[in-house]
Amino acid sequence: MNDSDLIPVRYLNEYAYCPRLGYLEWVESEFVDNYYTLDGRFKHKRVDAQSDKVTEEGEGDKAHRRSVYLSSKKLGLTGRIDLVEHEGERATPVEYKRGKVPDTPERAYEPELVQVCAQALLLRESGYSCDRGIIYFIDSKTRIEVDIDEALVSRTLSLLESFRELVNKGEIPAPLNNSVKCIGCSLAKICMPDEVRLLSEAVEKDEEDRYRRLVPARDDAVPVYIIGQGSYVRLDGDCITVTSPPPEQERETIRLIDVSQLNVYGNVQITTQALREFCERSIPVSYFSTGGWFYGITHGHTSKNVHLRIAQYDAFRDGERSLEFARKIIQGKIKNCRTIIRRNSTEDETTTLKALAACGKYAVRANSMEELLGIEGNAAHIYFAVLPRLIKPRGTDELEFNFEGRNRRPPLDPVNAMLSFLYAILVKEITVTAYAVGLDPYLGLMHRPRHGKPALALDLMEEMRPIIVDSVVLTMINNGEAAGKDFIKGMGSVHMSDGLRKRAIRAYERRMSTLIKHPKFGYTISYRRVLEVQARLFSRFLMGEISEYPAFCTR
Amino acid sequence: MRKYYLVCYDVSDAKRLRRTHKLMRGFGDPLQYSVFICFLSKVEKVVMLSKLNDEINSREDRVLVVDIGPDSKRTRAAIEYFGIQEKLRDEECFVL
Repeated sequence: MNDSDLIPVRYLNEYAYCPRLGYLEWVESEFVDNYYTLDGRFKHKRVDAQSDKVTEEGEGDKAHRRSVYLSSKKLGLTGRIDLVEHEGERATPVEYKRGKVPDTPERAYEPELVQVCAQALLLRESGYSCDRGIIYFIDSKTRIEVDIDEALVSRTLSLLESFRELVNKGEIPAPLNNSVKCIGCSLAKICMPDEVRLLSEAVEKDEEDRYRRLVPARDDAVPVYIIGQGSYVRLDGDCITVTSPPPEQERETIRLIDVSQLNVYGNVQITTQALREFCERSIPVSYFSTGGWFYGITHGHTSKNVHLRIAQYDAFRDGERSLEFARKIIQGKIKNCRTIIRRNSTEDETTTLKALAACGKYAVRANSMEELLGIEGNAAHIYFAVLPRLIKPRGTDELEFNFEGRNRRPPLDPVNAMLSFLYAILVKEITVTAYAVGLDPYLGLMHRPRHGKPALALDLMEEMRPIIVDSVVLTMINNGEAAGKDFIKGMGSVHMSDGLRKRAIRAYERRMSTLIKHPKFGYTISYRRVLEVQARLFSRFLMGEISEYPAFCTR
Repeated sequence: MRKYYLVCYDVSDAKRLRRTHKLMRGFGDPLQYSVFICFLSKVEKVVMLSKLNDEINSREDRVLVVDIGPDSKRTRAAIEYFGIQEKLRDEECFVL
């Protein structure tokens, strides 16, 4: 047995709590800090600090040792023990736990009992005699004695055995069924217990009370965009300061806990200290040209879940699965285009809606990627032909929103300028999400790899284009937030003014933080969170847990 | 979900006081000298407490943390100001 095959005692505890959690953390290397893990670490630290004197106490035979690492190839276990109290040949492991003594007959939960027992077994392997362990509950300041008896030892060994089997099999266990354990579990957003169960078992729709939202509806931190040319970003303690260029040199201070991502346009300087801090805090930094072209991204270490990336590459090589996924996203996109038309039309658009519905049906049955792309092109043509009619005429406005379908590089009219600008921001959004989830944004299943193109982000973006970007652009024009004076014409192309770009970003961000009722799961969630849920469902599809990718369609 | 916390501290050493103030600016807005209002999630609060714990000298300094509750009318009404008022920040995104 290699050292890397040894299972750490900590993960045995997680496995005893929930097999899926143990698997995700140990095999797929997923780990997320939450309140409990951080609070636990903080309290550990305080207890360690308070009891420094204890460490030095005791001489010769009777002593205390902190943070003792032990491994046993025979058991296939390794682990760290918070404290070992030993006297001659007798040793007792002490495990610190945050929280209070639970109100159960054993006065401890099984995962902790198993953990202490495993530690005791490691001590026995090292030649000590060990017939009891101690769990110290920090909040109640109480030591609970645990008898390392026959029953506990055999339970521990059998859990260890089944965990090892699971690891060797490499197949993720099903999520717990509507368990209270999921509430407060740090991996709930990765595991998605309810969503995965419901999508993999095809449970009836009327059981809506089982859809629990286990993560906050939206993030507390918000994106930062820096448009001002010549701005300077510095780190200042737990904040960043953004200084505008001379002569004004206005300074804005933003707390790092309030920053979810940084986006810079054109010539903006960022100090290395700030960049390093962004990496450490997993705050991605995206770079755009002054005109809004998305150039690239700086981020910290990518997700350690290599199994997911391998599954993504496998799906890429599997033509049938790629096509299956592509059909779903195109169908979703067409549905959402219809929704936009239905919501915004003032004239009778029955013919168009019917034509789009037909495209949707053909898309599901497409036999090849070429056929599917043909259908998609056709649907886009129909959709963009209707879009000008959704723009309400504003009599006094001198600007003609003379929009006749999509054009770009460069955009030839105001609508296309706004669409291009915001599509680039949406691509960035999904690229950032893909990295956070552990996917490779450059390897798409429908969009083929091309230099510098985040092809997977473009795939996952299809269904979101109409309901996020197109909707924001329509609203801005129809509200008069974007008017003729906001555009600059030159060399046959059209550009947005700085003021309009700022307003467009704000309108887009308003849309992203809008709370909606999820059409499938019924809970309230922001559009930005929807992107993450979709990326995670896509990973579950890649890992084979759910048989088809459920595209996101609003009603 | 974030909540409002009022954090007050007495720090007896000038250097530690300066460092504590700098640290606290990363978690909230200064309402007065040595008094911050912080809008934090449970996780952020633990991180703040942990950093404060590292910064202060527990024999000479003290910190008081009051949970004022989630963002609501009642919470906002619970804070009354006289004299110079500090503006609280509330942004959807920053566009600079």
